[in-house]
Amino acid sequence: MAMTDTEVEQGDQPGPQRPPERNRGGTGPSQPVADLPDAWPKGTDHKYIGSLFVAAALLFLVVGVVLSLVMRAQLATPEATIVGDRTYRQLFTMHGVVSVFLFLLPVWLGLGSAIVPLQIGAARLAFPRLHAMAFWLFLAGAAMVTAAPIASDVFHGWALSDPIPVKLGLPGQGPDLLLLGLVLVCMAAVLVVVNILVTILQLRAPGMTLRRVPVFSWSMMVSGAVLLLALPVLIGAFGMLFVDRHYGASLFSGFTGSRGGNPLIWPRLFWFGAYPVLWALLIPALGAVSEIIATFARRPLFSRDRASAALVGIGVLSFAGWGSEVSTLPRARLLFILGALAVLAPVALLILNWLATLRSAGSAGKGGDRDALRGSFRATPMLWALGMLPVLALGLAASVVSALDAGRNAHANYWQVGQQHALFFGAATIGAVAALSFWGPKLWGRRLSDALGKLEILAVVGGTLLTVLGMLLLGVQDMLVHTSTFDSGDDWDIGNLVVSAGAAIVGLGLIVLVLDLLGSVVTGRGRPAGADPWSGQTLEWATPSPPPRHNFDALPEIRSGTPLLDLRVGQSRPAQPEPDPVPDGGTA
Amino acid sequence: MSIVAVSATDNLPVPASGDAPVVLPTGEPLPGPVPGRPRRGTSTIGTLLLVTADAMVLGAVVAVYIAIKEGAVTWPPSDVQVGTYIPTMITITAVMSAFSVQWGIFAARRNDGRNAVMALILTLFLGLAMANLEWLSFVRSGFGFNDHTYGTLYNVLIGYHLLHLLAAIVVVLVLAFRTMAGHFSTDRHDALRAGAVYWQYTNIVWFVVVTVLFLLSRHG
Repeated sequence: MAMTDTEVEQGDQPGPQRPPERNRGGTGPSQPVADLPDAWPKGTDHKYIGSLFVAAALLFLVVGVVLSLVMRAQLATPEATIVGDRTYRQLFTMHGVVSVFLFLLPVWLGLGSAIVPLQIGAARLAFPRLHAMAFWLFLAGAAMVTAAPIASDVFHGWALSDPIPVKLGLPGQGPDLLLLGLVLVCMAAVLVVVNILVTILQLRAPGMTLRRVPVFSWSMMVSGAVLLLALPVLIGAFGMLFVDRHYGASLFSGFTGSRGGNPLIWPRLFWFGAYPVLWALLIPALGAVSEIIATFARRPLFSRDRASAALVGIGVLSFAGWGSEVSTLPRARLLFILGALAVLAPVALLILNWLATLRSAGSAGKGGDRDALRGSFRATPMLWALGMLPVLALGLAASVVSALDAGRNAHANYWQVGQQHALFFGAATIGAVAALSFWGPKLWGRRLSDALGKLEILAVVGGTLLTVLGMLLLGVQDMLVHTSTFDSGDDWDIGNLVVSAGAAIVGLGLIVLVLDLLGSVVTGRGRPAGADPWSGQTLEWATPSPPPRHNFDALPEIRSGTPLLDLRVGQSRPAQPEPDPVPDGGTA
Repeated sequence: MSIVAVSATDNLPVPASGDAPVVLPTGEPLPGPVPGRPRRGTSTIGTLLLVTADAMVLGAVVAVYIAIKEGAVTWPPSDVQVGTYIPTMITITAVMSAFSVQWGIFAARRNDGRNAVMALILTLFLGLAMANLEWLSFVRSGFGFNDHTYGTLYNVLIGYHLLHLLAAIVVVLVLAFRTMAGHFSTDRHDALRAGAVYWQYTNIVWFVVVTVLFLLSRHG
């Protein structure tokens, strides 16, 4: 890995056409920026690679949705025989793996790597070629994961624990492909994350202090730090499982003792890595929604510092609750209950921050304008952001119950399914779609359809709420996670029908979204976006859509976290006697 | 906060007065604020982050080792006879290579290419010696991957270091060639420093492996 790193560094070495004396400091006097990135092929453009990540993620979103619809068709009615138990468990496994590792992970990696350099006023990522390599690595891993169920049965659940695919009795190349594919995907993700983190640390425009980094970029930084520490644990775990399968090592099978390993280790190791990863996939959604709410409220967030601190809090505390997902709890059950509860507090604080922002935007006494705010509620990205609130609130409430029941019943039945789908699928996906409808016009120069957007919001948010409520109901009725069919005497008919109906509605909404993207962006039929369709506050809106290869020809002066908002304020009050009329936007 | 609401229709903000900042698309570039190149140390910071991620992989293996060791009745298994001679020699070599690679950086920092190349070549030889000794420790261990969990973890941990060491040898080899080509100077040796960070991390991996395998487990 360091090899590629040093190789990327070679890109900076003096080339024939480059002057020997260069100003490498970011704070020096003006210098042309167009030369370096434009000299490189398009394949290393962070916006291009980021878009490829997003496209791959959307492809796998469709796959994951189709898988879940087959599962829900099987469970819609009692005693259905659409798929057998074994096939159901395969669907279950692939649905989980595809949704987490091949949809949520790449969609945030793609959006993050495309948007973060624009937000912090950088011309490129720190290691552009490493970024390109990471995408193709990801694609290879994704192809292996996709090939796994074709090669042989993969029915272990997405935690690979049911049963743990060690060698004995579970032959076939399916689990191997799955393990190695996931290792590649995780390695690619680590490379992207390192790239984003170094970019934020090293390539910020002059004046863009860390405290002024926009909230979405900040959330990518927090999420990146969590992924940087959590994904390698999964890499190590998958690697050891591979060794177990191939060399008969039996680390995760057999009995405790020197000749055999301990089957209890696997779930603990997996969830130690996977639990923070799930939170890390929600954190950028929270960051994106913060950004959208602030933009459409036409003011900085109520408290940017507190929002940033809340995001950091989620990141840190996400490492404390992993034990709550393990059915055979290690000691210290109380500790894990507290950990799983504690991580919910900063999320709640963030929601309060959003509500306070909206409140001050609507009150005339604080320079707000109720009618303007109402008008902005008609914008599609804002509607997505607001649609996330009920799902997030439901997820938080369900998580409290889930946390209190750590390691007990709620983690073996549909309550857990409902809680995880609300927080980590529902809220995270809605956040990702909100981000796509907000930044998509910037990246691709075309706006998505407003009419279809409202239909999608209705379907996805409504369907998610329906699905999650049905799942929670089934949890109360004690339906177990892996149930592949049920009798009519189980009283689970209504709950399952509700879940299936909700899933169908969500699936419809998401497929309309993908068609909308294809129609508006890929075929170019959408309205041209213009440089700044939402009157944004951060630097990405100060350059044309789509941005040129080198992102910016010139940047406005950066004196707060919302430089474009400062410009507008200065513009509407040009005759201020003060030397510095720009408010600090709550950051300085 | 007294932010004034702005209508949704205005696109690019246009400055009202001449001295206000000008934004795209056609404005004059302002003095100062243009996106800079990466600051110094970018490769080093990237390597440090990668190495952090890598340490978490090692952490996962060590955690499994400790969990299995704690649950074992006899650890290591009674028929395991691993001498401490080879690991001691590797440790001493690792310490020497830590100094030699640092010597390379100090030399490059003083624009002393000759010493830098010598230091890197010495580092290479020390690395090859370690790789050789590690191979020997595989061959002479007397047990295989699948004899018992100790054998698995012993081979995984030492193999983990060996893989890192081989990668680090390639890195140092490339850096040695680049030093010969005169790529590094007093104010330009980021890649060299990044490579040295990776080498030192490889040594740290070895110290962890030695601690876990030999210091924390009684032998003979």
